[in-house]
This record gives sequence, structure tokens and C-alpha cells, in this order.
Amino acid sequence: MEIVVAVKPVPEAETRLRADPSGARLDGDGVKWVLAGYDESAVEQALLLKEGVPGSRVRVVSFGPAPRTEEVLRASLALGCDLATWVEHPADLVPDPVLVARALARPIAAAAPQLVLLGKQAGDDESGIVPSALGELLGAPSVGAVTDLRWDAARSVFTFHRPVEGGAESYEAPGPLVVGLQQAWNDPRTAKLPNILKSRRAPIEKVAWSETSASLRAAATTPERFQLPAPRTGARLIEYKTPAEAAEKLVRLLREDAKVFP
Amino acid sequence: MPDFSLTEEQTSLKDLARKFARTEMLPKAAECDREGRFPEEIYRKAWELGLMNLNIPAEYGGSGLGLMDQCLIVEELAHACAGMTTSIIANCLALEPIVLGGSPEQRQRFLAPFCASYHLASFGLTEPAGGSDAGALKTRARRDGDHYVLDGEKCFITNGPHASLYTVFATVDPSLRHKGITAFVVPRSTEGVVPGKEEDKMGQRASSTSTVRFEGARVPVDHRLGAEGEGFGIAMRTLDQTRTPIGALATGIAQAALDYASDYALKRQTFGKPIAEHQAIQIKLANMAQDVHAARLLTWHAAWTIEHGQRGSLESSIAKCYSSDAAMRVADEAIQIFGGYGYMKDYPVEKLLRDAKLAQIYEGANEIQRIVIAREHLKAYA
Repeated sequence: MEIVVAVKPVPEAETRLRADPSGARLDGDGVKWVLAGYDESAVEQALLLKEGVPGSRVRVVSFGPAPRTEEVLRASLALGCDLATWVEHPADLVPDPVLVARALARPIAAAAPQLVLLGKQAGDDESGIVPSALGELLGAPSVGAVTDLRWDAARSVFTFHRPVEGGAESYEAPGPLVVGLQQAWNDPRTAKLPNILKSRRAPIEKVAWSETSASLRAAATTPERFQLPAPRTGARLIEYKTPAEAAEKLVRLLREDAKVFP
Repeated sequence: MPDFSLTEEQTSLKDLARKFARTEMLPKAAECDREGRFPEEIYRKAWELGLMNLNIPAEYGGSGLGLMDQCLIVEELAHACAGMTTSIIANCLALEPIVLGGSPEQRQRFLAPFCASYHLASFGLTEPAGGSDAGALKTRARRDGDHYVLDGEKCFITNGPHASLYTVFATVDPSLRHKGITAFVVPRSTEGVVPGKEEDKMGQRASSTSTVRFEGARVPVDHRLGAEGEGFGIAMRTLDQTRTPIGALATGIAQAALDYASDYALKRQTFGKPIAEHQAIQIKLANMAQDVHAARLLTWHAAWTIEHGQRGSLESSIAKCYSSDAAMRVADEAIQIFGGYGYMKDYPVEKLLRDAKLAQIYEGANEIQRIVIAREHLKAYA
């Protein structure tokens, strides 16, 4: 089975975020870029499926500026992906999610995959649009928030669930299929040291920006302002001498100020 | 000129070690320290990820990393727990004599199994009556046909009770002093190999330490590394390789102490402001930051020197000695910044002081390092 997993470099969770001089975007200077959250799960799920279906191959694809994109591709190779494709990103481009899907569509179609896996949303902007836009561009069904994705070899269909209010929906679909993954069966694995060393030397195929259908379009939306949430205020420290006094003061505040209790 | 900007590959190795240290080692560090527990499940995971046997050449299935890469990994591991780190890197020390002194056939025979599955090995040089004076060791090796018979006792052996293989230094003739010392590979399964009780240590308590006695242990001649009398040289060249990562281990302890102390100083309030705003504390933190920085750079410089083909005795001795002394100073000041809390075992800093103390003693006591440093230093004036 040919599996493509598309990933996005995002700032490491501990990053101190700040706006760049334009004020419209995150300042990427000094930021450590990683494969995060749902994308890690998507890679894990791709590898689990590959391990269950002999003769399978996983290609990891990413669209973004160097060197951060190369880093997440190599991280994916170290985890066990077989091939990597980097879709070149013009330095001054500010894409929107649909343009990202356009950039990815042709290189992914060229691999003729049975399954295209993505995290259900990126770890940074969390738009969650790329999987469905990609399904549309590839002419394949797309589903988001997928869990428990399996391949039923006897019937040649993928089976999976989607959590819904109070329960789960069960689906099955033949490939090619685009999946926005919520969760893999396992926690994402850790790359082994020898595989990290090997991944540094692995080739990465490069797709020029001009070869993508995105190069003929412009982003339909552009970010105007990058803004951090205001520091939270309003916390109050209760001064007390005994626990009983603390409890009494807390109850009074909850009742009279916060009006949580009548 | 040394260039210490890390490559992307080095950053990835460091990230792997940090992730392992923070997610696997740190959560169990306090418990293992308290109970003196040897967390073999963690060591197995370290092996699975390739974080053990860093120095075994790739042709035998090892990672074949250079010293600089090893130092980056060791510092990250030691930041979480120096005791566990000592047990994880004990294989590097134990197997380095085979890397340096073994024939290609011996290397294949003895090293490859360590890369194929999880095993521990121990380095056996120190004896109850002589640590620093290694030339005076008393363990005897008597030739008997196509075997040697080993008799004697080694002490302070890291992973001693858990090892499946020992590299042992014994003398074929004590009157020859250094020139009688010979290196042997001794499987644990050999009759007459008797590990002693686990030592109850001050620090690094997740690591295991014991005596190992040899009571007429017979090892085939093809378990001898190099020729008779070459053992001392093999031991010293081994320590030349492994001394620098001890500098990295000490740097990891010092960095952890600085991190805990800085974080605490920014949160703890006295006289209406965080103690980090009091100059008395700032001066402490500034001195600690200098110590950590110097320890790391001296360690990296030693690694760079050796990777560039020099023996690096001076540089590695400075790295080991300075970094372990620095770790003691920084851990001590971290406790002071924490005040009474720092003295309590509920907080992480007193463990760092106990762990750091061993780094001043093992792999060549700092007094020995100073002898080496002075000797190398004075050469330039003689």
C-alpha cells in the first residue's frame, strides 16, 4: 500500500512566541520547529498501517520554508517513513490553508497513494482545513477527526471511527482516501539513535514551487495581525491563618463576588 | 579553531537524549534515589533507543559516535539523573578496552552481542587496596595451559551485580608493576566470578556498585586483550576516552542545579519581591552560570581536541576535574538559594550535590587529574 503522510513544521510547545516586524506573523527567528501533536499521530498511524500490510511504503510530504521543513521531514524519516518530498516554499509567501492544499496536491497525486494521512489540524494555527481541501483537489473522499483507522485486507476497505457527541460513528471506505487523524492506536514512537543518523543522510526529493498548482494562485485570505493573548489578571490570593479561615473566605468570595452559589 | 555550533544531526541526538531524560528518567529519579533502586526497565529502553554503547564502532552494530556527540547525549541524560546516566554509560567504559585493545576477531565476538541485545558490562580496574595507584593492583593472572587463572578482588564496580561481561585488569607478575598488568575479557558465567553485595552509596543511587571477586576464574587465552603487560596502557587509553564524557555528566548536574535555582529564585518572594531581584542571589546565579558555561566549553574543547587526533590528556583532565568541581559548587549554591527547602529531600537540589560528589572521585580522582594537569602544564616550561 502506498501511504502519504503530510506534515507541517510548527513551533515547539515551549517556544516564547512573538510577532515579526510586520506585526502580522509569528517571528520564526530562534524558534525550534518540530513535528507536533496530530501530525506525530498521523506519522505513527501511517507506520502502524505499513507494518501491518507487507510491501507498504510511507512517503512523508511537507510544504514550507527551509530549513525547518527539512527538519520535520528528517524527523519523520528517523521515525520510519521510507521516502520524503519537500515542496518548495517561496520566501515571502504567506499561504492560506487552501493554497497549502494546492501546493501539496500534485506531489501527493504523483505518488498515487491509497491513503493520505494528515493530522486533523496543525499544531499552530489549528485551521483544520487542509485535509478537506486536499480531498477536494485530489477528487477523493476526506474525513476529519478520525480514530481507530484500520485496513481490512479481506474487503479492501479502510475502517475507522469518528467521535461525536456522546458516542462514535463507524465508517468504512475504499482508497484513495484522505484522513485528518485525531488519534493513532499507539502513542507516537520515539526515533532510535541509529535511525536518526541514517535519516540525516537520506535523500529528500524536491518539488519546485513552479511545478505546483498553487503557483498559479494567490492566497484568498491573509493574516492582518499576530496577537498574543493579554496576560491574565484577576487572580486573588487569600490570606489566612487557619485552613478553616481560608475555606470561609473562599466560600464568601464564591458566593458574594463570583456568585457561583446563591 | 574549534567551532562549537552544533550540526542539525547533533541537535537531533541531543533532542532524543533530552526527550528520553525528561520523559523516562526524571519521573523515576527521586524514587530510585530514595530506594537505591536499579531501574533496569529504563536501561533497557535506553538500549532500545540506541543510547547505550555509544562508542562501539558501526561495523559491530554500535552507534560509532564521536566524543562530542557522546558528550551532548551524556549531558542531557545527567540533567535528569546522574546515577542512571552512570549505569547507562558504564558499557562505554567497560567495552572501550575491547574497542582499543581487541583484535578484529575479538571485537566482533565480544562487542556485537551488546549491539544485538541488551546486556551490561563492567570495567574492573580498581581494587580495595589501590584505586588511584592502578599500577599496584594485586589481582593475579596465572597462565595454565591455554587458560589464565584469575584470583583477586575488584571494588566499586559499576553495574557489577548486573553485568554479563567484565573487562578485568590483572597482573601476570606483580614485581613488574605497570608492565605486568594484562587485560582480560571475563564472562560472568565463568566459574569463580563472584559479584559482591550492592554498596549503599551517598549519591548516584540508581546506579549499582559492588565488589567482584575472582576465585580461580579460568578464562581462555583468546580472552586476553593485547599482549601480556599491555593492560596498563589499554586502561589508561580507555580512561583518556571516557574521562571527557564525565565532564559532560558533571555539566548536566550543574545545569540542572542552575535551572532549578533560577526557576525558584524567580518565584520565591522575600521582602516583597522575587529573590532573583536581590543582588545577593543574582551574584550567586551569575557565578553558577559562569561555572556551567566554563564546564561545558572545557568539556567540548577536550572532545574537539581528541576528535582532532590528539591524545588530549591535559584537556580531558581539565574538563573532568573542572566540571565535577563546578558541579559541586553549583549544586551547593542551588541548595543555598532554596534555603531550608533545598536541604529537604522533597526538593530536587540536595540529590544533585550528592550525585556530583562522585564525579570528583570516579574515573580518576580529581587529585590524580591535577597531577596530570600539572605534569602536562610544566612540560611547557621544562
